[in-house]
Amino acid sequence: MTKAIHFLPDEKNHEATRLLPYVMAVMVYLSALALMGSMMLHKGFGDWTESLSNRLTVQVTTADREARETQVRQVIQLLRNTPGIEHVRKLNEVEIEQLLEPWLGVGNVTSDLPVPDILDVTVSRALKINLDALNAQISKISDNIHLDDHQQWLGRFLRLMDMVEYTALGILLLVVMATICMVIFGTKAGMAENRETIAIMHHLGARDSMVARAYQNRFMIYGLKGGIIGLVLAFVTLISLIYLSRDLASGLAPVPDLPMVEVGILLVVPIIAAAISMLTARITVMRDLRRMV
Amino acid sequence: MIHFDNIGMRYGMGSEVLKDISFNLKPGSLHFLTGPSGAGKTSLLKLMYLAQRPSRGKITMFNEDVTAAKREDLPKLRRRIGVVFQDFRLLDHLTAVENVALPLRISGGKGTEIEEHVKELLTWVGLKGRMKSRPPTLSGGEKQRVAIARAVIKRPDILLADEPTGNVDPAIAKRIMHLFVELNKLGTTTVIATHDMSLVEEVGADRLHLQNGRLHMIRTGETVPNLEEEKFDSREFSSGTLDQNEFDPKPIARDEVL
Ligand SMILES: Nc1ncnc2c1ncn2[C@@H]1O[C@H](COP(=O)(O)OP(=O)(O)OP(=O)(O)O)[C@@H](O)[C@H]1O
Ligand SMILES: [Mg+2]
Repeated sequence: MTKAIHFLPDEKNHEATRLLPYVMAVMVYLSALALMGSMMLHKGFGDWTESLSNRLTVQVTTADREARETQVRQVIQLLRNTPGIEHVRKLNEVEIEQLLEPWLGVGNVTSDLPVPDILDVTVSRALKINLDALNAQISKISDNIHLDDHQQWLGRFLRLMDMVEYTALGILLLVVMATICMVIFGTKAGMAENRETIAIMHHLGARDSMVARAYQNRFMIYGLKGGIIGLVLAFVTLISLIYLSRDLASGLAPVPDLPMVEVGILLVVPIIAAAISMLTARITVMRDLRRMV
Repeated sequence: MIHFDNIGMRYGMGSEVLKDISFNLKPGSLHFLTGPSGAGKTSLLKLMYLAQRPSRGKITMFNEDVTAAKREDLPKLRRRIGVVFQDFRLLDHLTAVENVALPLRISGGKGTEIEEHVKELLTWVGLKGRMKSRPPTLSGGEKQRVAIARAVIKRPDILLADEPTGNVDPAIAKRIMHLFVELNKLGTTTVIATHDMSLVEEVGADRLHLQNGRLHMIRTGETVPNLEEEKFDSREFSSGTLDQNEFDPKPIARDEVL
């Protein structure tokens, strides 16, 4: 391998491609956001749904306090005897008051308020329990006992999240494709601009790979330049978003810190952009030259 | 070294500009290529520097059938051929030094050694003060000398020069011819297309004479055989270089006209 020969005009004369780094920056910005969004959704909601997926909630809504307590005892008994159920715990009054606080306010839960009893049930992940059978047995005890496995709304929610995630990945894919098209277009324009130079280089005995190297180096630098600009903008956006949502959420929900692993992945994006740009340029040049005499 | 066997060549769907051309140039020989404007001198050279493929016949160079050469084998062959193009074909954005250094760079030479060598040669052709100039700022004759320096810098096995003295004064023309003759003595097979009969006579080498697409080999001292077009043709031989320009506005001059 001989080292690259400088034979193309200097950068300030690259009429055909000089705006390319900026378009590249936009592309990298968009893909970084799409990637970031997709990763954060995946991680954030993944953790959360994971923690819900082995939980069941049983509500006992019988109005009569004594009957209710008997039923609660019966249900606990039933659940403890069901294989696959690891843990059953009845929420105490304080916990239930806390749950109701957002609706009723502090100290408004009085003893004459008909509050249901709630059981928090942990299910084994290994053993699949038969929810239908369990439901049937529970309804034998009383019609006022409701088993909620969160699956219905959780499923809907997960489908929505999947949809958002796939959309983000789809956007990423489209952006990559658009980038490739742009680089092909830019390479062809750059070659057309220097057709005579390339012909002369051929007459002097230059190989196609020598010509390709000049272009692939140029486009690699474009990719890297644009990549870094785009990534910096993406980080600015990201940090502003986190900062804003922190203000907004003020304690209601935990806001994630800047996730380090994901940030690490994002740092690779400019390198990938440079690699895609370089490879595309090389393939384009080699293919186009083969068509020349 | 260069063997043409019954070559015919046409551009696209046009009529043949070269017809039934056969000749053999021995290694280390020197030939002039003459003929009126449009006779096909440049076309013949293009076949030799592998820029065109013939429409029929077979060309053998370096003991290789170049008409059958694959695309990826061409660079290797081209690196052994130095070409002075009629229209120079310098890279406008590179300096004179960089232009001349290109053939060495392409075959993988080292930067500092190259530069020494190139500067020496440019000084020799009288361009000491124009080393860092770019072609657009050079005169026609200066460009021509850069082109010549680029063609000979690697001491090629074959040197093909298309009107290499068309734009320079007689003194420099002589100097350039001297350079070619010296290079030829070192073993470079040389073909020089020219209209300048005084140079041909001075060097006294064999001539390949093209006329209406056909080639006639004229040995040293011989005159042009009685050709069909002899009348039209004779003007070239009787009137010498100066008048020649009136009948034959050389393509080189295009740069300046435009
Ligand atoms: N690229 C081309 N396409 C089509 N026809 C061409 C092309 N180049 C040359 N010709 C034609 O081929 C013929 C020979 O041209 P060529 O350039 O070989 O002549 P020449 O002997 O070099 O002339 P000159 O002395 O003016 O340089 C001419 O009739 C010319 O019009
Ligand atoms: Mg010509």
